[in-house]
Parts: sequence; structure tokens; C-alpha cells
Amino acid sequence: MRTLPRTGALLGFRLRQDVLEWSGAWWFLLTLVVQAVVAPLIGLFVWSAVYPDDPAIGRYYVAVILVTLMTESFEQHTFSERIYDGTLSHELLRPQPVVLGVIGTNLAVRAWLTLLGAPIVLLTALALRVGFDWWAVLRAVPYLVLAAALVFLWTFLLSLTAFWTDRVHAVVGFGGQVMFLLGGTAAPIGVLPDGWRRVAEVLPFYGMNGLPASVAAGTGAGGSLGYQLVWVVVLVGVVVVLWRAGVRRYTAVGS
Amino acid sequence: MKLLRLLGAGFSMSLRRSVAFRINLFFDVLLAFTGLGTAIAAVLIVFTRADTLAGWSMAQFLVLIGTYQLITGLRSAFIDPNLSWFPETGIRNGKLDGYLLQPASSLFLSSLSLSSPLQLIQFVLGIGVLGWGIAAADRSPSVGGVASWLLLVVAGVVVTWALSVLLACLAFWAPKLQLDVFYHSAWQLGRYPTDVFARPLRILLTYVFPMALIASIPSTALLRGPRLGVLVAGVAASGGAAGLAVLTWRAGLRRYTGATS
Repeated sequence: MRTLPRTGALLGFRLRQDVLEWSGAWWFLLTLVVQAVVAPLIGLFVWSAVYPDDPAIGRYYVAVILVTLMTESFEQHTFSERIYDGTLSHELLRPQPVVLGVIGTNLAVRAWLTLLGAPIVLLTALALRVGFDWWAVLRAVPYLVLAAALVFLWTFLLSLTAFWTDRVHAVVGFGGQVMFLLGGTAAPIGVLPDGWRRVAEVLPFYGMNGLPASVAAGTGAGGSLGYQLVWVVVLVGVVVVLWRAGVRRYTAVGS
Repeated sequence: MKLLRLLGAGFSMSLRRSVAFRINLFFDVLLAFTGLGTAIAAVLIVFTRADTLAGWSMAQFLVLIGTYQLITGLRSAFIDPNLSWFPETGIRNGKLDGYLLQPASSLFLSSLSLSSPLQLIQFVLGIGVLGWGIAAADRSPSVGGVASWLLLVVAGVVVTWALSVLLACLAFWAPKLQLDVFYHSAWQLGRYPTDVFARPLRILLTYVFPMALIASIPSTALLRGPRLGVLVAGVAASGGAAGLAVLTWRAGLRRYTGATS
């Protein structure tokens, strides 16, 4: 019974530590903010050119920018590099789950990106004269929490391939491209051709990005918390299996 | 000539190193295909809802993506392996010290001596998409259009090299400043015609950070024929950017005292 509060305390400690550590790299964090907002901004410009009179496009993409900033994950850097340089061994020897440190770093980076990216979101919303229904924004919060979990699980899952290949950045890059295309950034899912839309609604990527954004924007596309939860459970299962296989292999390599 | 021989030798060594790791080769090829596939798919989605986008038809967009991909392939193969993360690898870790001791131009060694031959897959795929776009276009490009496209692509590559060198030169004054992520993000904007973007961004991408020269301007020349003013401006921009890069590099070297000193 005492495990849960202890885990929470450890996570809180790691989060504080990482927030402070990253505070010295604000310029680099700013470049990460730019990296995060470029794809949704391109989507915004392109779809605004296609539907110049539709205010829902602007509202949706402003929400996508915010969701992207709040869910960005970089485990291919923060975790996989530890496999490559061997410092994962230190983490494995500590009397706490390795993933706690990874989650702490993830949350710290997201907090900084959200803080530094907020002016961009605000400026875009003001420039486009975008107005939100605040009840819809409030309703999007649980969707956003599950989206954040999904993006983390997906990126961490792909980052675990570092146990088998030294091309983890290519693997995660591939995952990012699928997210971009089917997650609602390249195009709002409602404008996809029928076949694509049906596939996108079933796969987890829409739940990572487009779903919370469309709930916040009130555009009323499909998807539910249940659909996100199912994918969280599936991805947790796959991550656990892959982690165990990876650590066994890592031990074999290092022994 | 000596520099060309050096470039060839570096390419040959890099190629042998690359093909020795088959799994890496597999992932590089896969990523090149999926990256381009994603870009094309994103555009195809747009054209299921509209006939033109900012005055560009689907065929014209394919020409643009092909040109962009081709230049991106050249950048990834010959420029990025040398200048990516230069503040860290070149300055803070002292790799530049080694180049300064060698009997060849330090700018050449720092910016072009290494290569990543597998990235040329992007170049080949770019040629393929370019051919697809030309075949799908209403009318074939004229000889003048092809010649001006070629000239502007060369100008685009020179500007790309110069921008990378200028970015690397910042490290002489601010070794902790790391703008690679920013540069690679801004590069994504080159995949779309500047007409798509709002006016302030369009001006920025044409005159300040000339992403328009990477794909938009050469593609327009190929599809709509040569325009003397654009050709002169393109060549002048590349010459000016290259000259500025060389001068800034020299100024940076005068300031540089060595990582190990």
C-alpha cells in the first residue's frame, strides 16, 4: 500500500529535478517549440487556403498546436541514448523503476514547451481571431491527458528498439510521420477520404492529437475516451513485453 | 581539382562504411520512402478537396516536392554530415582543431569532407517524383525552362551550403547556441509554395531566409518558363550567400583560439 505514494514522491522529485535542469537550456527548448509548431502551422496555412471562410479550421489548428506542445515526447534522445552510451546500467541498478526517470524528464520537457510555446498559441489565435467555447475546452482535458499518455507510450515503445538497432532516430521518425499523417495534423480527420478516415479512426494516432483538438475546437469529429483507453492498455502491454525482452538482451550484451 | 579528388575519396570511404551495416541501410531506405510518401499523401489529401492550392495544381505540386526532395537529398548527403551540430562536434569537442592542422582548406574540410551516401536515396526518389509531376502536367516544360530550373537548383544548393556554413559560424561567437533543430524545422516550409503562407512569412521566406529558392522558384521556372530577372536574382543570391559564408568563416577563424588551448 505504501508503494503508490512512494512512487508518486519519486516521480515528483524527478520532475522537479528535470524542470530545474532544463531551465538552463531555454534557448534549445525554444528551438524545440519551433520544431513542434511548424507542422501544425503548415497544416493551418494549407487548409485555410482550401477553406478560407471556415473559422473551424483556425480553431482546430490552434488547438492542435497546443496539444502538440503539451504531448511532445523525446524518448529517442532522453532514453535511447542511455542504451547507446551504456549509462542505462546505472539506472537499472537503482531501487526504482527506470521508467520513472523517463516519465519525469518527459513531463518536465512538456511543461517547458507548453510555457514557452504559449505565446505562439496566443498570437496565432489572436491573428486568426479564433474564439473558443470554454466548456468544450474543459471537456477536452481528459482527452488531452489520455493523448499525452498515448504519445509517450508510442514514442517510448519505438525508443525501445534501441536495444536492437542503432537507428532509433529513424524508427521514431517513421512513427512521427505516421502520427502526422493519420493523427489529424496533416489534415483534420473529417476531410480525409472515407477509406482513410475509417482507418484513422481505428488506429491510435488520432487519439494522440486530433481527437483532443477537435473536442476543444468543438468540431465534433468521432472518437471517445473508451477508444483512447483501449489503446493505452494495448500500448502498455506491448511496452512491458518489449522492455523485458530488451533488458534481457541488454544484460546479455553487457555481461 | 584537388578538392574534387578529396570529395570523391571521402564519398568512397563513407559509402563503404555505410553499406557494411545492413540493418542501418534498411532503416535509412525505409525512412526515405515513408518520408516522401507522407509528404505526397498530405498533398494528395488536399487535392481530394480542391482543384488548385494557392494557384498550384497537383502536377505542379509534385514538381515542387520532387525538386525539394532532390535538394534535401543533396543537403543530407553532403552538407549535414559535416555541419550538423557543429557547435558541439566542431568547436566544443575540438574536431575543428584537427582540420586546421591538415593541408587543405579548413572550410572545405569542415563543410564537405564527410558524406552520407545513403541519403542520396532521397535524391533519386526526388527525381522520380519530379518525373511524375512533369508527366502529369498539362504541358511539357520548354528547353529554356529546364535550363533555368537546373541553374536555379544549383543556386539553391549553393545557398543551402552557405546557410549551413553561416549557421555553423555562429558557434565562433556563441559556442552554446545550437540552431540545428530550428534550421531543420524551417526547412520543412520549403516543401510548400510560398504563395500558401501569409504575407509576412512569405516575405521572410523569400528575402531573409530564402527557402523559396530551394524549391518554389526553380519549380516555377520549370513549369512556366525562364524569367531573366529571377535567374539573375537567383545567381546573385547564391553568389552573395557563398561570399558572405566564406568571409564569415574567415572572421570566425581569426577569433577561434582552439578547443584544446
